Amino acid sequence: MSSSNFHKKPSLVTRLYSVWYRHIRVYNSNFWSNAFPPFFEPLIFLAGLGLGFGKYIPDMAGIPYIIYLGSGLIVTSAMYTAAFECSYGTFIRLEFDRVYDGMLGAPISAENLIIGEIIFAGTKGFFFSIAVLAVVWGFGIITEPLSILSPFAGLLTGLMFATASIYITAYIKNINHFNFFFTGILSPMFFFSGVIFPVEELPAAAIPIAEALPLTHAVRLARAFCVPELLSPWLLLDLLYCIIFIIVTGWLGVRAMKRRIIL
Amino acid sequence: MSDCAIDVKGLNKNFGTIKAVNNFSFTVKKSECFGLLGPNGAGKTTTMKMLYGKVEPDIADDTAIDIFGFSPLDRALEIKAFSGIVPQQDNLDSQLSVWDNLLVYSKFYGMTKKEAAVRIDELLEFMELQERKNVNTRELSGGMQRRLVIARALLNRPKLLFLDEPTTGLDPQVRHLIWDKLRELRDSGVTILLTTHYMEEAFQICNRIIIMDKAKKILEGKPKELISKNLEKFVMEIPGMKEPARKCLKYFDENSIRYEVFKDTLYAYCSSYDKLKAYTDISKNEDIYIRHTNLEDLFLKVTGRSLNELQ
Repeated sequence: MSSSNFHKKPSLVTRLYSVWYRHIRVYNSNFWSNAFPPFFEPLIFLAGLGLGFGKYIPDMAGIPYIIYLGSGLIVTSAMYTAAFECSYGTFIRLEFDRVYDGMLGAPISAENLIIGEIIFAGTKGFFFSIAVLAVVWGFGIITEPLSILSPFAGLLTGLMFATASIYITAYIKNINHFNFFFTGILSPMFFFSGVIFPVEELPAAAIPIAEALPLTHAVRLARAFCVPELLSPWLLLDLLYCIIFIIVTGWLGVRAMKRRIIL
Repeated sequence: MSDCAIDVKGLNKNFGTIKAVNNFSFTVKKSECFGLLGPNGAGKTTTMKMLYGKVEPDIADDTAIDIFGFSPLDRALEIKAFSGIVPQQDNLDSQLSVWDNLLVYSKFYGMTKKEAAVRIDELLEFMELQERKNVNTRELSGGMQRRLVIARALLNRPKLLFLDEPTTGLDPQVRHLIWDKLRELRDSGVTILLTTHYMEEAFQICNRIIIMDKAKKILEGKPKELISKNLEKFVMEIPGMKEPARKCLKYFDENSIRYEVFKDTLYAYCSSYDKLKAYTDISKNEDIYIRHTNLEDLFLKVTGRSLNELQ
């Protein structure tokens, strides 16, 4: 049994793909229960906030409120799914199921493993954005053809929150501490990043803080694809922010998590 | 080409102030089954993990690790590509079936679906799991899970197999099955490095062993030779003897029988069965038990009978 064609180190693409493939396989093994939330959640938000609230607020920053909200939800669902995947998901794989110990028996490095995981969370963000888009299209809320590009803002959101979550998870010792992350960081971000109301409506002192948050820039990108009047060259700065955020946080996250995995 | 599969010199690892592995050196020949024995916390697992890059060794001037020509310090992926690794804890994907677990893992080696299907069938047969291939791994017994983890480590037809306590917690039938399979692999040319604290396991399948304790090597050699070199041939166990009677000690001294007392049992060692037997005739204690010394006696002799703070 000692001769084999499989003794060569696989290429980087194969290594990253195989990590991604593992996650997709496990995710799809519970297909229906996993496919339910991305479609149903935006429905609740749109019905709860859009129908209820929307009656009293016909316009938000010159845009019908339901469109304003719908275009924002395209990226928040990506944010939540990527953040969950790379916090609770990663922590459980790392500490409870010990899946990483198994995977690292194969010819992949800790870096490959973490980056593959981030790419998977990005893909998941992309998919969740498509689901929201399908819902808002289905109800005729957004009809702009260019909105087909908005899931790419979801992909960037997924990657940003995957890298940030990995970075935080690298230092988490107790799974309950994620409460600080979700309630303390993500919930405020949901409300103060221009999803529900414009950042400009915040007190002057809070605006720079909101501008520093990753979600603000992703929302701006997604919304511009849904409401083309908002398209402007300034959006390139938002895009640049997202890319730099992914690279810097990704680098920090991979480095910190590697230290936790390789003793 | 050298006949050496693993050549390790000056291996060291500290976790904070704890010395996990202390200036450890050993070699494993090709197609040999080599066992690392020792109590919990002796440094066996850490040693093994350093060889495939899961733990980074502390580098000293004389540190050198050579695994089929590669060092895990910079070529861990190359090493893992031709190795199979069975970690101490089973870590299957509990949401996936037996078959899917292996399929997902085959991707890590860049296997196509077709290549993987052939190999997976072979391995399920080898590990006697064919009938379970569509079962969710959550529903497998401990013994089946362990066999599946071993099958997973064999996907790439490894020339080197790392096994960290392969049969801990399994029933005798499964243990014997796994030993048979490991012997089969060894005889087909696979080099095996395993850790265990089952003395019988080492005796059954290892060509050579090292007994480790407190991060250091204590003894090294072939199991049978180690016993004959370091121990008398027989041991007599006398239960209920907290303090040996004077006449009993006198008999041991006269016949140069080595003895020790642990808890309330006296252990008397001697290479002459007759001398021990003669004692039982005098003492008339019916619970006395004389048997061949084994690897476990040796293990306890060199690592001590009492628990240390890491066990």
